[in-house]
Amino acid sequence: MCTFSIRSGPVLNTPEPGTWRRTSPLAILFFLGKLARDIVKNAWQALAPLAAVIIAAGGDIIDRLKIGGILFIVAVIVISVLRYWFFRFQLSDDSVLIREGVVKKKQLDIKFDRIQGINTQQNIVFRYFGLVTVNFDTAGSSGDEGNLPAVPREFADTLRERIGRSLGRAPAGAEGESLPDALLQLDWRDMVRIGLSDKRALLVLAVLGPVMERLGDGADEVITNYVENAAQGAFQYGMATGVAIFAAVAISLVLLLALASIAAAFLRYHNFELFLDGSTLRSNGGLLTRHEVSMGLGKIQTLRLQQGVILRLFKRFRMSARQARASHKNDSSKNFTIPIVTGDDATDLRRRLLDKEGRGLMQIPTSDRFTPISAYFMRLPIMINVLISILLASIGFSIAGDPATALFLLWIPISLWFIYKTWRHAGYLYTDEGFVRRSGTIGYRTVALLYRKVQRVSVTRSPLQRRKGLATLRVYMASGSVRIPYIEHELATRLRNYILYKVESSQQAWH
Amino acid sequence: MFQNPEIAIEDLPDMEELEWGKLHPRFVRRIQVQNGLVALAPIAGAIVFSILLHTFLIQTVLLWVLAIAFAVLLITWPTISVPRRGYVVRDKDIVFRSGVVFRSVTAIPYNRIQHVETSSTPLDRKFGIAALQLFTAGGSGGDLKIHGLGAKVAEQLRVYILDKIGASIEHA
Repeated sequence: MCTFSIRSGPVLNTPEPGTWRRTSPLAILFFLGKLARDIVKNAWQALAPLAAVIIAAGGDIIDRLKIGGILFIVAVIVISVLRYWFFRFQLSDDSVLIREGVVKKKQLDIKFDRIQGINTQQNIVFRYFGLVTVNFDTAGSSGDEGNLPAVPREFADTLRERIGRSLGRAPAGAEGESLPDALLQLDWRDMVRIGLSDKRALLVLAVLGPVMERLGDGADEVITNYVENAAQGAFQYGMATGVAIFAAVAISLVLLLALASIAAAFLRYHNFELFLDGSTLRSNGGLLTRHEVSMGLGKIQTLRLQQGVILRLFKRFRMSARQARASHKNDSSKNFTIPIVTGDDATDLRRRLLDKEGRGLMQIPTSDRFTPISAYFMRLPIMINVLISILLASIGFSIAGDPATALFLLWIPISLWFIYKTWRHAGYLYTDEGFVRRSGTIGYRTVALLYRKVQRVSVTRSPLQRRKGLATLRVYMASGSVRIPYIEHELATRLRNYILYKVESSQQAWH
Repeated sequence: MFQNPEIAIEDLPDMEELEWGKLHPRFVRRIQVQNGLVALAPIAGAIVFSILLHTFLIQTVLLWVLAIAFAVLLITWPTISVPRRGYVVRDKDIVFRSGVVFRSVTAIPYNRIQHVETSSTPLDRKFGIAALQLFTAGGSGGDLKIHGLGAKVAEQLRVYILDKIGASIEHA
């Protein structure tokens, strides 16, 4: 017999193997959300049948729209309920089995040893009922990852513990019992910083920036014009107001986007806390939906520190730990992100995350311990950019005959500046256990890695590099490759030989 | 018995004096056959254009020159690039070098290889050639593929490397 209590019975709290069971009916909310996201993503395919219904039905257009809308909402709800109804899961000794699908049935078998971490999400309704959605972070497959919607929080904790136990890991301290002090807590000021430094907000600023500047320069003129025209009562009055309105719209658009971006930061990272729980890094945060993310320290492949222009103004960094990614996909869900840290916190975190092996792998980009790469790095890009500019200018001139095509030559100083900056920002440092590479054009990005986790190494030389005794070292990690270009060939081969020695003599698992 | 001898960096094995294993002697011809087929396309295109335009002269000369230059390049390039490729099977890793302009040397330790695959197209089989592909984790950067080995060598290498992978797992 099915009993429809919103709180799931005690049976769910003890993950015993062998029986198929349903999650709480509140999982319908999860399926509704998922469906809504899918509809937004593939709006056209989803709306096509709806459009057909609207056109096929009689009556005037408003009535049709009403009927269509109601049918659509009913269909979405029915599908969500059905999805919940057909969703079953069970635990076996070494895996989680999920059966789902209304029309197309599918069974998912997630082996414990493929699970890299268990992340949970808790929306505002789930929080009230003490439920969470469990998301299994698995190595290898992307896309077909399992979710267990609306299971009790304690169930998620015991599951986490069981998986840890079956993999022979030390059980991480259970929730609530002995949770260590937070390594990092973010407050509202950090949310504002995160929001303002969002790349998308920056893009809008970059587009509107020049327009705004021109408006600023021309403001005096506009105002005097406005006054004069107003005095004359001329028709140009309209145009001046037009400019003013445009400026107002542009400014409010920027403000709106900045606000939206800050709101997004609050939604995702509100009350963000970071814990180190044994050898598991864990974070939780979020305003309406709480996201809990965890990652075993051993899984970390590379540690990144990024600083764009705006973060530089705030003297903050964005830190992320990358783990092995599924092949062929640049899958950012495999990253553990700490959205904003100060330089000191970043250094402290690096020491904790990489432990003794990470000693000396300084990631703060302004550190004087970085060695610059060879200036020959700039030669090829300079040649290409100068050539293209001259070519475009001369072709343009010969076709159009307009001296204005000489404007193409303006690209030369601009590109030179970018290339020079890229070279200045490039650098590296290495220790006995790993290296750090620094790169970036406007901002900085540093990547730290341990030699023993390297998958393969290559040393490449272009003709110019061969003449100048230089080479490019590239190491492939399970999370992607890291390149140190234009270093001494002798150093590149020495590092390569040493990395191979480290990998081949390492007895520790790389993941 | 656990041993932990000190390692001097200078004593680590280098790759300067490696004896690079050559690819199968008929591999150049095999690529030339394939490239020859590819090169026929622009030549056929040039012929069609010439017929359509009814001019075998000045207007299509450029087209012909380009098509033939392309074909010549496709046929001669393998004789330059293939001898540059080579591999060395060492005790703990496999090293592969390639490239004419950009020369690269890649090394894959056996204890990082996830699986090994040999494959051959019908054209490969005509020449008794196979490709050996080595997969490492997160390898979207193109897993190492050594094309142009003799079919027998590729199979031997596959078995040898599988054996090495097994040994490294037992060790860990």
